[in-house]
Amino acid sequence: MRYLVLVPEALMLATAVVVMLLGRFAVLPSAWRRFLPLAAAAIVLTALGIELWAGAALTTFFGGAIVQDRFALFAKAAALAIAAVALASADWAAEDSPYLGLAMPLLAAFGVMVAASAADLVGLWAGLELAAAAAVVMVALRRPDLGLRLLVVGGVATSLVLIGLAFLYASTGNADLVAIRDVLASRAPTVALAVPMLLLLGGLAVRAGIAPFHVGPLPISLGASPLGAGLVIGLVTVAAATVAIKIVAAVAPLPAVFAPYAVAVAAVAMVGGGAAALAVRSPRPRMAYLAVAQLGWVAAGLSTHFRAGFAASLFLLAAFGIAATCGPALLGRAEAGETAIAGLGAVRPVRAAGLALAFLSLAGAPPLAGFFGELAVAAALAQSGNFVLLGLGLLGSVLSVAAVVGTLRVLYIQSPVDEARRPAAAALPAVTVLSTAGAVVFCALVAGYGLLGNPILGLADQGAEALGLR
Amino acid sequence: MTLLTVIGQATPSPVPAPGAGLFTSPFLLSLLIWVPAAVAVALAFIPNPRGRYDTLIKQIAFFTNLGTLFVFFIGYSQFENFLPTMQYEEKVPWLPAIGVTYHLGIDGAGLVMLMLSGLAGVAAVLASLNVRERVRAYFALLLLAQSSVNGAIASRDMFMLVLFWGASIVPIALLVIGWGGPRRISAAWRLVGYWGFGTAALAVGALALYTAAGGTSFDMDHLFKATISPRVQLGISMAMIVAAATRLPLFPLHGWAREVLAESPPGVVVIVATAASRLGAFLILRTIIGAEPVAAHLLSPLLAALAVLTVGYAGLAALRTLDIRHAGAYLAMVPGGITVMGMAAVSPLGIAGSVLGLFAGGLAAALIAGACVTLSDRAQTRSMALLGGLAPRMPNLGWLLVIAALALLGVPILATFAVNVMTFFGAFKTQPLGAFALAASLAVCAVALAVILGRVLFGAPNADAPGVSDVSLGETWYLGLLAGALLWVGLFPGGPKIPGTEVPLFDPGLINQMSAGISDIASPYVLPTPAAPATQ
Repeated sequence: MRYLVLVPEALMLATAVVVMLLGRFAVLPSAWRRFLPLAAAAIVLTALGIELWAGAALTTFFGGAIVQDRFALFAKAAALAIAAVALASADWAAEDSPYLGLAMPLLAAFGVMVAASAADLVGLWAGLELAAAAAVVMVALRRPDLGLRLLVVGGVATSLVLIGLAFLYASTGNADLVAIRDVLASRAPTVALAVPMLLLLGGLAVRAGIAPFHVGPLPISLGASPLGAGLVIGLVTVAAATVAIKIVAAVAPLPAVFAPYAVAVAAVAMVGGGAAALAVRSPRPRMAYLAVAQLGWVAAGLSTHFRAGFAASLFLLAAFGIAATCGPALLGRAEAGETAIAGLGAVRPVRAAGLALAFLSLAGAPPLAGFFGELAVAAALAQSGNFVLLGLGLLGSVLSVAAVVGTLRVLYIQSPVDEARRPAAAALPAVTVLSTAGAVVFCALVAGYGLLGNPILGLADQGAEALGLR
Repeated sequence: MTLLTVIGQATPSPVPAPGAGLFTSPFLLSLLIWVPAAVAVALAFIPNPRGRYDTLIKQIAFFTNLGTLFVFFIGYSQFENFLPTMQYEEKVPWLPAIGVTYHLGIDGAGLVMLMLSGLAGVAAVLASLNVRERVRAYFALLLLAQSSVNGAIASRDMFMLVLFWGASIVPIALLVIGWGGPRRISAAWRLVGYWGFGTAALAVGALALYTAAGGTSFDMDHLFKATISPRVQLGISMAMIVAAATRLPLFPLHGWAREVLAESPPGVVVIVATAASRLGAFLILRTIIGAEPVAAHLLSPLLAALAVLTVGYAGLAALRTLDIRHAGAYLAMVPGGITVMGMAAVSPLGIAGSVLGLFAGGLAAALIAGACVTLSDRAQTRSMALLGGLAPRMPNLGWLLVIAALALLGVPILATFAVNVMTFFGAFKTQPLGAFALAASLAVCAVALAVILGRVLFGAPNADAPGVSDVSLGETWYLGLLAGALLWVGLFPGGPKIPGTEVPLFDPGLINQMSAGISDIASPYVLPTPAAPATQ
């Protein structure tokens, strides 16, 4: 019964492997292939159900390397929900490979789950790299050159993270997060700790594509398939943020060694992301910049270095993950810029509604998921007295909302392109029962996040407490 | 002074209207907020191939707003004007981890605002009957805008206030972009910019208040009772004034008003000029006058200065422009300035005047802006260089424009008269310089109105001007509804009574109903009674 907690991970991994093998050996009749996404989404939902049912147990595995606590429960449940909705809402006609396209999101979600339940530095790194590797495969399927570029950018990020982790280990003499925390509780902040934290958080910022480190991953995401873009902007970022939250919680006794970096990155990301979103017009880059701006809010929550701030960041991270991963999937090809989504509200109303909600949620517009998350972070910032960062964040949100109004205008007010003249790059997303259901579930999640805010924020708060924060 | 006494104190009678108690709902305020939102979502997904169900959609929007107005009117007639507390309260914990409560409630001021919003909703649909393009999206957005405005009025939790305050921006901006005039894009960006900035200021103020009150609850009942140092009160109040000034609008944060009120379709003008913008004054009343008396006293000269600058600027700008829509937009800023002056008076009479000003000022602003927009539509030009001698050719609109002008100036028999009387009598005592300057500014507005009306309605007809036609039935109804409400409250501020009795006929009277809660708000501003001279 104790090992039931590991079943979601096992299901995700096994499904990914089986799907890849099916693709490699082409044993599946073509008529059955279209049911693969439905089957995969159903398995992920089953895993989510098991996680929510059995995940409340507090336990450790593999000699304490894997821990099941409230933080793990929250992050794993969020990763599973994100994966399920992304698989269901994707336009599979726009994906390059139904097999790898299905397997990679599962592996990326598995990576997030590993990082979420890792009790030491090695587990964190492994989970992060697994999620990142899945994104590289997805990007390389369509654009091998961009895949290579992501690999190089990821290599830089990995180097920085590894050096930082090594220094952290050397400074504290421990790889276990709880032990690191205990050691640091009796120490004063030193440069020897501040430098590795700079490297570590810098590497994670590159991995997450958070401004000003977005110059690597963000353009790469623009050439990927819809779900590939969702992985780069969404799930990999969630993995990096999960690792950052766990590491920052471990060094929380010495906020001076990380808080200034978090503040700086948050300020640049919130304002820069919003301004960049306003400057571009094409929907996918705009969504990517909105994601950068919202990720800045997550970093802002970490800069508060107390429980409420971390809980708010976690609460926002789940909202961010859903919108940033599923948004590009709902957007479909959209390679023709704004033309591709002109009048989508009239011809694909459910998909357009999902897309509009994804944009609005990433911008932090009320009353959607992103708004509740950002306001929870804002409350934590106010409690910590950082009104400058709060003001910058609100400025970024105003810029983001202004940008989204432009996209909504194209979605709902412009006339759709004449079907006879519609270019291939602006092809309409295919409508299937699964994709429509996925879009509906996405809308319900994003619009209903606030209604379910009490249990979700409560669990996030317990998650932050499980990391040892007070 | 007798008239003043009558207006200020009306008939604080506990006698309920006939039929009170027949219908009760613990979710009255939720109904007013969520029914329009639910209908908007439903409308957005109704299949409407080639506009086949346009008429049905318009009917649904109309009857939704009429229904919510009816529900509100039940609440209005059952409102207990002798209770100083919040009524129709709904309180459910929402996000206890950060102290957010789903808390709704209204007092007299909230009731006045909801009445304004309800009337504006019906008028907005009537004004939108000419909409032919993307009808489904238009009415869905209109209902969403109204839902968010109602939410902001009824919110008793700062988190919810920020939520609803911000939620109105996107639908209104989309309405302007989608159905506005030639400069609609610029208008929408200005709206998003100014209102977004105001929302950010409101969020900063709300979070600062939350932190100063201990960081445990966003509930206004908790926040407004917390002991906060005068310095912090000042900071919070400044943020609230910025938020309010972007909405009302007040000079110098009025940059959106001209474009939005001039470029929007009439239905959107009605929503924006009434409840959506009066939220600014309502915010000052709630969060500064009603909650932070020290800051209110300290900032009252600033409020008075903003009021004077707004009215003065509006008058001069209206005098200078040759665009009838721009003139209407500028003049629609005037009632907001008067309302704020009532608050700057920080006296019970001034505050009562400003509460009534929320209602009457909103109607007057919508009437003047809406009449100017409709006139330019009907005359096929916006240029006052071309418009002239229209009164004989569009008599209905001419009358409505005249009523709008008189309402702005506050002539007797219109509701704005009572507002101006209470405001000026309140302000001359505590802000004599401001009140005098406001009166002078209002005189400039009167000159502007006289010039505009003289030129457009009664001047020599221009042979080069395009053909004109009088208002359609829908336009007559929407402008007539706004004018009728101004007249009704002006004629029967205390409501009509059964002859020979104090029993209300069917309307308990807005002045009576709005008095609930005002005494509570005004209690810190009652001047001490001078001691009687000692007798030998």
